Amino acid sequence: MSIMGAQPGGYFGKALVVDVTDGSTTTVPLPADVLRRYLGGAGLGVWLMNELGPTGVEPLAPDAPLAFVFSPLVGTPLTTSAKFAVVAKSPLTGLLTDALASSHFAIAGKFTGHDAIVLTGRADGPANLLIDEEGVQLVDATEQWGMSASDAEESIRERYGRNWRAASIGPAGERLVRYATISHDGRHAGRGGLGAVMGAKNIKALAVKGRRRVSIADPEAVLAAAKDLRGRSFGPATKKYRELGTLSNLLAFNAISTLPTRNFQAATFAEAPLLSAEELSESRSMAKNSCASCTIGCEHIYATKGGTKVRVEYENVFALGPMCGVSDPDHVLEASARCDALGLDTISAGGTIAWAMECVERGLLDAPWLQFGDGTALLRVLEEIGSRRGVGALLAQGSRRASEVVGQGSSAFAPHVKGMEMPGYEPRTMQSMALGLAVNARGADHNRSGAYEADLKEGLDRVRGTAEHVRAAIETEDRAAIMDSLILCKFLRGVFTEPFEEWAALLSKVTGWDVDGVELRETARRIVHAKRAFNLREGWTPADDWLPERFLDNPLELASGRIATLPAERLRAMIDTYYSERGLDSEGRPILLQTASGTESKV
Amino acid sequence: MNTSAGIVLAGGRSSRMGTAKAALEWHGSTLLRHVTGVVGRAVEGPVIVVRALGQELPELEPRVLLCDDLVEGRGPMQGLAVGLAAAAEHCETAFVCSTDLPFLHAAFVQAVLRGFEPDSKTPELGVSPDVVLPFVRGYRQPMAAGYRTNLVPQINKLLEAQRLRPAHLFEECNVRQLDDAALLSDARLASVDPDLDSVFNVNEPDEYRAARSRPAPEVVVERYGVLATSGGGRGLRTIRAANIASAAEQVGLTFDGHIVAALNGDQIRGDGQVPLMPGDIVSFISADAGG
Repeated sequence: MSIMGAQPGGYFGKALVVDVTDGSTTTVPLPADVLRRYLGGAGLGVWLMNELGPTGVEPLAPDAPLAFVFSPLVGTPLTTSAKFAVVAKSPLTGLLTDALASSHFAIAGKFTGHDAIVLTGRADGPANLLIDEEGVQLVDATEQWGMSASDAEESIRERYGRNWRAASIGPAGERLVRYATISHDGRHAGRGGLGAVMGAKNIKALAVKGRRRVSIADPEAVLAAAKDLRGRSFGPATKKYRELGTLSNLLAFNAISTLPTRNFQAATFAEAPLLSAEELSESRSMAKNSCASCTIGCEHIYATKGGTKVRVEYENVFALGPMCGVSDPDHVLEASARCDALGLDTISAGGTIAWAMECVERGLLDAPWLQFGDGTALLRVLEEIGSRRGVGALLAQGSRRASEVVGQGSSAFAPHVKGMEMPGYEPRTMQSMALGLAVNARGADHNRSGAYEADLKEGLDRVRGTAEHVRAAIETEDRAAIMDSLILCKFLRGVFTEPFEEWAALLSKVTGWDVDGVELRETARRIVHAKRAFNLREGWTPADDWLPERFLDNPLELASGRIATLPAERLRAMIDTYYSERGLDSEGRPILLQTASGTESKV
Repeated sequence: MNTSAGIVLAGGRSSRMGTAKAALEWHGSTLLRHVTGVVGRAVEGPVIVVRALGQELPELEPRVLLCDDLVEGRGPMQGLAVGLAAAAEHCETAFVCSTDLPFLHAAFVQAVLRGFEPDSKTPELGVSPDVVLPFVRGYRQPMAAGYRTNLVPQINKLLEAQRLRPAHLFEECNVRQLDDAALLSDARLASVDPDLDSVFNVNEPDEYRAARSRPAPEVVVERYGVLATSGGGRGLRTIRAANIASAAEQVGLTFDGHIVAALNGDQIRGDGQVPLMPGDIVSFISADAGG
């Protein structure tokens, strides 16, 4: 089935680079060997960053590239394949960030005839970038500037036609909040401040329209695989996502002391039941929705008492609820809706606000109204962050930079790794996850690591990290690297029994490559290394692979009475094991080689 | 939980019982699997079963380590030496028990192992007792006790000298004895095993039958997420169940690979045969929690 030398199925073999300063374009060829080595999505994104990003570029400078990257499965009937990655150097971390979003934008963007669209430069004033098969237009965005992402998207479609699909920023991106998002159809490429990168280019929205179909190596086999996968997507492995969504984690995590509360001062939240999926689904009307090409339908949309409709996920409820000590579901849902409208990453917003609340509690920050548990204060501070007013000007920088300004020991409890705020997993009681959070290229991240999976299974003692925990974390990180590059939704992960082999089979049917699971495992390692190599180039140091002091000094008591601690020596040992098992040097540096695909790290 | 091993001595003739105690039925499982499961819930180190050479054992959890006792006729001290020698590779201390303790509770094991911690109330014992010996209702319980793994040479010398009783060992080492009051000063143990049934052993068929006729332990179950909303029901339920699979079944769940159980908010278990004990809180959650 190999078609060496020919264009592989699933790809157009090129990326479009648009300089938004003047709308000029160049085409970057994507050779088949590069595509095979980096696949698409997050993997191809890091290759593009290594190739196109000037070393040491400021993330908000015109020269900093912002890549929208598609993947070989986009446009196939495979469930959950309509996804895209947005990749850039993060203004929050100064390192690589890659965030995924989904739905029609992915299909329309790829069908413009490109595997990636990369933005560079800076427009003179607010602009929208429209790309279709005919070419590129930079158009005035004064009308949309200041709108929420969803309003801007709707405005563009009303003006230019319903067949345009747009990814847009909200006001937070316009104001360069360092954790602003890019949004499409209500879903956010959320982490790392990609919205600020787009805002710095004066681009409100990238709109795409395309009907150029990509060739598929074996369409009948892909169709059969799609039917099979569709059937499996209705099974028990996805039931949780279909019926309650990820918010069903909340009470379970509370029961096992992994629910970060009041800026990680506790791991259980007494009022958690009020915010739970179990409670909300009984007490409120709820609508469900799906991304394009998805049969799972994980989106659960609840209404506040005021009628605001909000997509609810575990992460936004954890970050704006227990993390800030807020228990009123209407306040939490309203806060989540405001983050969506402003275009703010809920995890970083919640983490930064929770840190600020603790600063106020300790008398380190003069904002006495900003108290744990005060939902009204939560809504007020979100507005201030989105508009960079008052204390919001400080908090718009994220918790790392803000703690450097406030000083007085506040860095010790700033809940971030590499500058990115931590997701809703307590590292002391999930020590595979602790390792994953510490070493991940993107920073404190649950989607590129996924090591919580190991902590939530039998076999490892989740509060006593060992080399086995490290190996489990490497496995989940490798799986994530492939899923994020193919791209398939991680909510589908439970349906695969031999994931690398099954993913290789899907990729073979689409591309015509005779790829197998062994090759995909190597590809995973290559992608993980490439991210690390990019970070090294951009100033990463070994000290960046670490956790905040809070987690290393303060024990937590489980419901059983057992004490969970994460001593610094244990974390150090786990990180050293990670470096060793990954084939990195003793300080976590990849060994770089020059290959036909550019500078790569030795896998 | 302590960083200790667990050692279960499965040898012995079971002559009064008339059949191998290890294989006695226990709520759908076997007595040995039950006891190793209880010990496994209490210790962080390995669980080691010492058996006589050629002794057939019922199915055990895959993680249980097996050791063969090659010398016959020396009683429990020989098994103790073999088990402690195996445990010494992993841990400094071990809880050692016989197979025939159907009501052994993890809280008892933990209370005994805490006896190795320095105790300001008994400074005469120094900081490191060699043996933590329960003394329940006036009887020493050497087959439900804690031992340092570095006692192996001392025990071997006693064996060579044909001094085969645990009492001989106790004469020669530093023993911290825990009487009923000392044991029950542990609030958790006092709550879940107030009568110290943990040391109740079954030697005769009548004792076994009486023990087996007791109801399964009372535990509290809670379901989360879709396990609660898809017909299962929310809130706490008190039931009687000997193991996780039984508890799941009683609340309308099939304990397949898509569900795991968190025990007392702590350990995550996916094996339905894991024993439950009085006072347990079992939280059923989706196996793919997270994301």
